[in-house]
Amino acid sequence: MHAQTVENKIEQIKQAALAELKTATDSESVKFVGVRYLGRKGEVTQFLRNIASLPEADRPAAGKAANSVKQFLESAINERLEQVATGQQAQVEQIDVSLPGRPTVYGNLHPISQINREIVDIFVRLGFDIVEGPEVETDWYNFEALNFPKNHPARDMQDTFFVSADIVLRTHTSPLQVRIMEKQPPPVSVIAPGRVYRCDSDLTHTPMFHQVEGLMVNEGISFGDLKGILTAFVHQMFDSRTALRFRPSFFPFTEPSAEVDILCVMCRGKGCRVCSHTGWLEVLGSGMVHPAVFENVHYDTSRYTGFAFGMGVERIAMLKYGIDDLRRFFENDIRFLRQF
Amino acid sequence: MKISLSWLQEYVPLEMEASELADALTMMGLEVDSVTDRYGFLDTVVVGRVTEITPHPESAGLKICRVDTGTQSRMVVCGAPNVEIGHLVPFASPGTVLPDGSRLETRSVRNQISEGMLCSAGELGLGTDRSGLMVLSQQSQVGTPLASALHLADAILEIDLTPNRADCLSVIGIAREVAAIVKKQLGYPKSAIPAEGNDIAAHTSVTIQSPSLCPRYAARLLFDITVGPSPFWLQNRLMSVGLRPINNIVDVTNFVMLEMGQPLHAFDFDHLDENRIIVREAVSGETFRTLDQKERSLSPGMLLICDGRKPVALAGVMGGMNSEIHDGTKRVLIESACFQPGSIRTTAKKLGLNTDASHRFERGVDPEGAMAALNRAALLMAEVAGGRIIGGAIDEHPGRKDPSAIQLDVRRANKLLGLNLQAEEISDLLRSIEFGVTPKETNVLTVIPPSFRVDVSRPEDLMEEIARLSGYNNIPTTFPPMLTGKRRPDALISAREKIRQILLGFGFCEAINYSFVSAKACDDLRLAHDDPRRSVVSILNPLTEEQAVLRTSLLPGLLETMKRNNSRQVGTVKLFETGKIFIHTAPDQQPNEIEILAGLWTGSRRDLSWHDKEDACDFFDIKGVLEGLCNSLGVPSLSFTAIPPGDCRYTRPGAGAVVSVGGGSLGIVGEAHPEVLTNFGLKQTAFFFEMTLSALVRHIPVGRTSRQLPKYPSTSRDLTLIIDKRIESCDILSKIEEAEQHLVENIILFDIYEGKPIPKDKKSISIRVVYRSPEMTLEDEMVNRVHGDITNNLLTAFHASLPT
Repeated sequence: MHAQTVENKIEQIKQAALAELKTATDSESVKFVGVRYLGRKGEVTQFLRNIASLPEADRPAAGKAANSVKQFLESAINERLEQVATGQQAQVEQIDVSLPGRPTVYGNLHPISQINREIVDIFVRLGFDIVEGPEVETDWYNFEALNFPKNHPARDMQDTFFVSADIVLRTHTSPLQVRIMEKQPPPVSVIAPGRVYRCDSDLTHTPMFHQVEGLMVNEGISFGDLKGILTAFVHQMFDSRTALRFRPSFFPFTEPSAEVDILCVMCRGKGCRVCSHTGWLEVLGSGMVHPAVFENVHYDTSRYTGFAFGMGVERIAMLKYGIDDLRRFFENDIRFLRQF
Repeated sequence: MKISLSWLQEYVPLEMEASELADALTMMGLEVDSVTDRYGFLDTVVVGRVTEITPHPESAGLKICRVDTGTQSRMVVCGAPNVEIGHLVPFASPGTVLPDGSRLETRSVRNQISEGMLCSAGELGLGTDRSGLMVLSQQSQVGTPLASALHLADAILEIDLTPNRADCLSVIGIAREVAAIVKKQLGYPKSAIPAEGNDIAAHTSVTIQSPSLCPRYAARLLFDITVGPSPFWLQNRLMSVGLRPINNIVDVTNFVMLEMGQPLHAFDFDHLDENRIIVREAVSGETFRTLDQKERSLSPGMLLICDGRKPVALAGVMGGMNSEIHDGTKRVLIESACFQPGSIRTTAKKLGLNTDASHRFERGVDPEGAMAALNRAALLMAEVAGGRIIGGAIDEHPGRKDPSAIQLDVRRANKLLGLNLQAEEISDLLRSIEFGVTPKETNVLTVIPPSFRVDVSRPEDLMEEIARLSGYNNIPTTFPPMLTGKRRPDALISAREKIRQILLGFGFCEAINYSFVSAKACDDLRLAHDDPRRSVVSILNPLTEEQAVLRTSLLPGLLETMKRNNSRQVGTVKLFETGKIFIHTAPDQQPNEIEILAGLWTGSRRDLSWHDKEDACDFFDIKGVLEGLCNSLGVPSLSFTAIPPGDCRYTRPGAGAVVSVGGGSLGIVGEAHPEVLTNFGLKQTAFFFEMTLSALVRHIPVGRTSRQLPKYPSTSRDLTLIIDKRIESCDILSKIEEAEQHLVENIILFDIYEGKPIPKDKKSISIRVVYRSPEMTLEDEMVNRVHGDITNNLLTAFHASLPT
């Protein structure tokens, strides 16, 4: 056998193998092709064995050619195997994709907590620290230190639950103002969320509700700054089209005191049921910290000024979510909670 | 407080619409709650013409009138003597609500239909005459609404006054603010009584025995008066703000109180023993009958107005029956006094007697206003009751105080407010509400607040006035320099947020329950008698029995919530809550407040779907939640120890565990006790956990350090043992951990089996042990040896056997 014929022979084997590979359409038959050509009794293997019987001069060329074909076929078979496997997957029977998936259910944070979080986050971004305090308070922290003298009509502004003559359920989060200033010298900028209690229950009042209190004290803090911070807050909480209105009011622990109204988020000021046809919604109480409060915590009133504000979380949640019955919040009906 | 627009206009010229005025007042700090039409009730009353009168067949006093109402012809039964054909009279259609509260309907009067009513002035609240129909001018147009025919127009403003603005508890007080708004002069009513001698001293005297409670007491006498109904203008003023006219003398005291803010009282002078007044404190055990005919028990600290022998009025709160003005009263002593606000408030609160007078005294009445009001009342009484004012007035004034000046630093005011006002501008603003202002030095003003502004004593009080008068909305909005947070975020607060997020991820909804529970919640939970959670904090004035004490566990709230959901056909409830419990410490002390994290799961494990059956959840579901939570938080090696029967009385015996880390308890997890379920009216079982939040948070690692990922492959071996049923799985797992610690990477308990062919008191337990070395690829031989050792250890330690 001439070298030429030898090479032809191996080439023929190669072509035959390739032709068979082409027709093999599943991995079984591809593997079968592999066995037939490269297996122990395969044609290429046989050919290699037979090289010993060739004239010595032809052996190197034949060996080289055969090995190269062997390698070529090995990779061709592997390649074909992959092709076939992918092809098989692509042909898998159609599933009913409209069937519901296996349920993975996320829980729902209580709407009060969500709004609370939103409020607090805004102030944290504005540089306020979060603080918390006791819900059962002494008369001193809840009233006296906040400039509500004993036996003063200002105390009628907040219907109080009493535990004893001197211990009350806090009626507001404002005691935190005093507690923080007692602990920390100025500057102070804190936000204090929490539960508060008032002896009142009807469509628009629940005996427990949530407030967020804020306090900023430093040199040179002005009423204009109070307006700035609260405007920034309202614009982030609602939107930047929401106008604010500051109105003189009275809280014993601030002076000047201001109620903050926002343009009704429902009717945009046209007047509707939610805003009692005034176009405005009262959402915040605020003011400059009263010097009597500073005196109670031994802050230098000639050097420091500050502002404080407080808001009801339920009120804002009702506005944002369009909830009209306050009591829903504390029923914890799963179907209600699931909406938020 | 209610105020009528027309009354305001008596003191200040006003060209605004009522709604415009309401807005302006609101922006001045006098929040107007509502504006109503004073004559709104007349909307359904029109001018009618009587066109025909026939006698009532069954009643001699009644007539049947045909009335032309402009659009219709109505039949009305009428009993008025002065009804005549052709007369124009007020016709009230069915639906009208008269001032006395009665509502007109079409009805049958002695078998004759009456479609409305012809009215007298008295019936319409437009006068005092009830003797006959109100006959209207023939110039009126038939069918015209009565209010416009009579040119009646007035608005009533309801103002929600803050407690500091005592000065605005009067028409003049509000008019003063209005004058500042419209920049007009306020016109005070006449209250000067011409030179008059001092005849009064011969008739009476006033002795103040408690000057601290009564800084001022002024009085006048009026003789020869005739008590009777007030003239209509006076009645109308009172009615316009919701007060009922009584008689001319009492009406004048009320009118002047409403007008000037000074509560007054009129005594029948002839019923004052010894014709004199003594002001003193009540003594214990004393009683007094107030005008509302109630016997009041008094105590020291309450101030009494007495005559020579007996109490005649509860000072500043209410007068007495014994000296009341009556039809035959001829001589009157008018009291115009000042009382100490705190004492009046205490008295009114103790007696539960809140009157227009006490409301004003509590908040602070102008100490300098007493004489003007007294004179005004005397002049009006003389006018409406025809009396004679006895010359001179008594004015005992032991609490006289000179007005105190406030130094106002203009720069400080501007700095606090963020304004840039000149001293002159500030002076003008303050003067507009009657503050006395004199410049002291550059940028310092000496300000004397008017006596009626009892709320103003500090420079800051003045700054508020300046801000209010210049308009809060005219103050430029600025931004303070940012104070970056000083403190590290509180570990508990951030952990709570993280825990919430994890539990949400597990499909739990968050609940917020009231901090109050019923006093019987402890019994319902079956708490032991010596359980510290029996030390509840009770509310002295609870709203309901269901909210009588502060909770000492979150479970009652969660179980109530579960019941509410179950009763609304929501069977599966997965809730968590974080909140405080309150443990009583000592009387008059704040309780211990402990924040608890609790969860409750009842109903199915997964919603029914084509993937899964709707299996009921069980202990291991809720336990898995805890494990998953702690795992996610990085809390290491949680252990669960069975609660010995009797230790926790609200878990089902055998189905509760104490959760702890390193010997420290975090809380418990378990199934609710069947009796607890019954106590809460629940029909299905519930699984729950409750943990002390701070204890849990303490175990959350502060920082985390990364570990190398393994370089060499792991290999695992399975093992099945037959062991005594009572052996807890954790003992076996820890036994494995003990041995060859450095090679055992993980142990997975993947099957528990009881039943055939396993003997009755045994169970089979299958475990996969994962082996890995950090130093090399483990060889089979080595793993087999180690695994064999472990197996043998277990077999001996637990008297276990291998499955056959």
